Amino acid sequence: MTVAAAAFPTLRNHSGPLGVVVLIAVVCALGAALTDRFLSLGNIVNVYEQSTDLALVSLGQTLAILTGGIDLSVGSLISLTSCLTSGLINGDPSRVIPVVLAVLALGTVIGLLNAGLVIVLRIHPLIVTLGMSAILQGTTLFYAMGPIGRVPRNFNFLAYGRIAGFPVGATIAVVLCILIALLLRYLPLGRQIYAVGDDDDAARLAGLRRSQVLLLVYGASGFCCAATGLYLVARFGAGQPYTGVNYTLTSITPVILGGTALSGGRGGVIGTLFGAYLISLVNNLLNFMDVSKHYQLIAQALIIILAVSVYMDRRRTA
Amino acid sequence: MTATTEILETAASRATSPRLRARLSRFGIFLILPALILIGGAVSSSFLSAGNVSNLLMQIAPLGIVAVGQTFVMIVRGLDLSVASMMATAAVIATGFSGSNNDVALIVAAVACISICVGLINGFLVAKRGVSPFLATLATMILLQGFRFAYTQGAPSGNVPPFFRTLGSGKIYGIPYNCVILLIVVAFFWIVLQRSAFGRRIFIVGGNPITGHLLGIRTDVVTIACYLISSCLAGTAGLILSGYVGLVDNWVGQGYELDSIVACVIGGVSLKGGRGSIAGALAGAATIMVAANEVLLFGLPIQVQIILKGVVIVFAAALYAG
Repeated sequence: MTVAAAAFPTLRNHSGPLGVVVLIAVVCALGAALTDRFLSLGNIVNVYEQSTDLALVSLGQTLAILTGGIDLSVGSLISLTSCLTSGLINGDPSRVIPVVLAVLALGTVIGLLNAGLVIVLRIHPLIVTLGMSAILQGTTLFYAMGPIGRVPRNFNFLAYGRIAGFPVGATIAVVLCILIALLLRYLPLGRQIYAVGDDDDAARLAGLRRSQVLLLVYGASGFCCAATGLYLVARFGAGQPYTGVNYTLTSITPVILGGTALSGGRGGVIGTLFGAYLISLVNNLLNFMDVSKHYQLIAQALIIILAVSVYMDRRRTA
Repeated sequence: MTATTEILETAASRATSPRLRARLSRFGIFLILPALILIGGAVSSSFLSAGNVSNLLMQIAPLGIVAVGQTFVMIVRGLDLSVASMMATAAVIATGFSGSNNDVALIVAAVACISICVGLINGFLVAKRGVSPFLATLATMILLQGFRFAYTQGAPSGNVPPFFRTLGSGKIYGIPYNCVILLIVVAFFWIVLQRSAFGRRIFIVGGNPITGHLLGIRTDVVTIACYLISSCLAGTAGLILSGYVGLVDNWVGQGYELDSIVACVIGGVSLKGGRGSIAGALAGAATIMVAANEVLLFGLPIQVQIILKGVVIVFAAALYAG
């Protein structure tokens, strides 16, 4: 029993969203003490808006991690979908809807392919998705070596648009998060995600459909990546072959901050959403404090280390 | 659906007997590598030319050194994602001083200090706090990246001291210096892993930590030592790579974390821990570099290199799974 464990007994028992909410409150208090603009409505909407990409991609990642797996192909898949989106639309407004639907379908299919390889070849998802990541990155580079295509002007509605004052993209992420949370809570297949993650063998012996769970989980992750790719195109106006690289690893941070165990079986998407907000909030605060981008990385790493040191209670069993 | 997959799974496990699988996973790489070399020699006349071979050896050396460290970590059921970041940090430090040979000792000392810190942090988080290795090393990776960016303000400058240039790209009797270093590293750590009591402990801890604990082995100390070895070798490889590349940006060594893991996996080091060899990891590293070299020599587009790597990862793992 360490000092941290003794100091935060409730935090450790509620390894759900509580910890991250406390951290958000702390950051908010710090920010409010530093500058009165920090808690202004404009800034809060700003933070909310800037969390969109991370929130979208880490929702899918949460599902993969809940089953005890991981999806390392997210970065390349985001790059691929963003390049395909702007490359295929290429400024033609009439192609927007079919291309968007096709890209979302493609993301899902690639996710399903990941799951299929995990099931049939019986390899750890880490390796399958790592391999898939290289394959997708190579394919993306065949399609585009630099920024490609363009999208109609109003496509950026997805990134910068407002409905009743709410940023569109970020609100879509919230809706998606609520849908996934309901699925996890009320659908049998959702409950089985936890069972598979907690004890794969026990789940199999109990007759659970492991392959269906994995197909659902990685398919959903692929869908989320495609959505992120679309969002990035809306934000930057064109797809780039390396636009997603950083998301592979950063998508894991909100998941961990939100209290989902990397060993699987515990956690949920609501925590992840708050985790994404926390990161967005910290970056925003550091911007206010005029801290350069370089130190923001250090802050992010320290948050991860802090979070994992506090959360880790099931040692040895993981 | 379930029935289909079950049939597929049993079919897959019956197709190759467990013993054959075990042999393949241990020695498969020693068939793949010569095959690749034969193909290379048959298709392209320049593949086995002295220039290309010594160039290849120079490229293999840094990855081989990192892969040796990665082997130690993977045997104790870990994974070290921070190696590439450590390499880049070492490279940035190498150019951080005046660029003359006077600072070599200072540079080596600084890199050693940082490597040891990184290894200790990784090892501490994993062994003492029960953090998953993936996460712990991911955190140190980002941390190092942040310190590096803060240190260089995003734009590293300066020169690599001639001493490291010689180590990275010089030759002695036609043999690259960095290969000599690789051989020393391999020989030393082969003895550590295969011929020392400490090596035995590593395998026991990796095979079954509880058994290790019951045998009275300080499993945490062994684990921390493995992360230390990995980060120190990554620092060494970073210095050598900076000498090979000759100039430094913030991303020297990018991709080496995954490449070194791939080298280990195709070299028969088990992701589940407890199994692996340095010879296998070295052959794995050589395979990656030979394959990459052949893609270019055969005039195939560079994208093929990346795709090929992905396919090799999945198939090598599929071959060994079970």
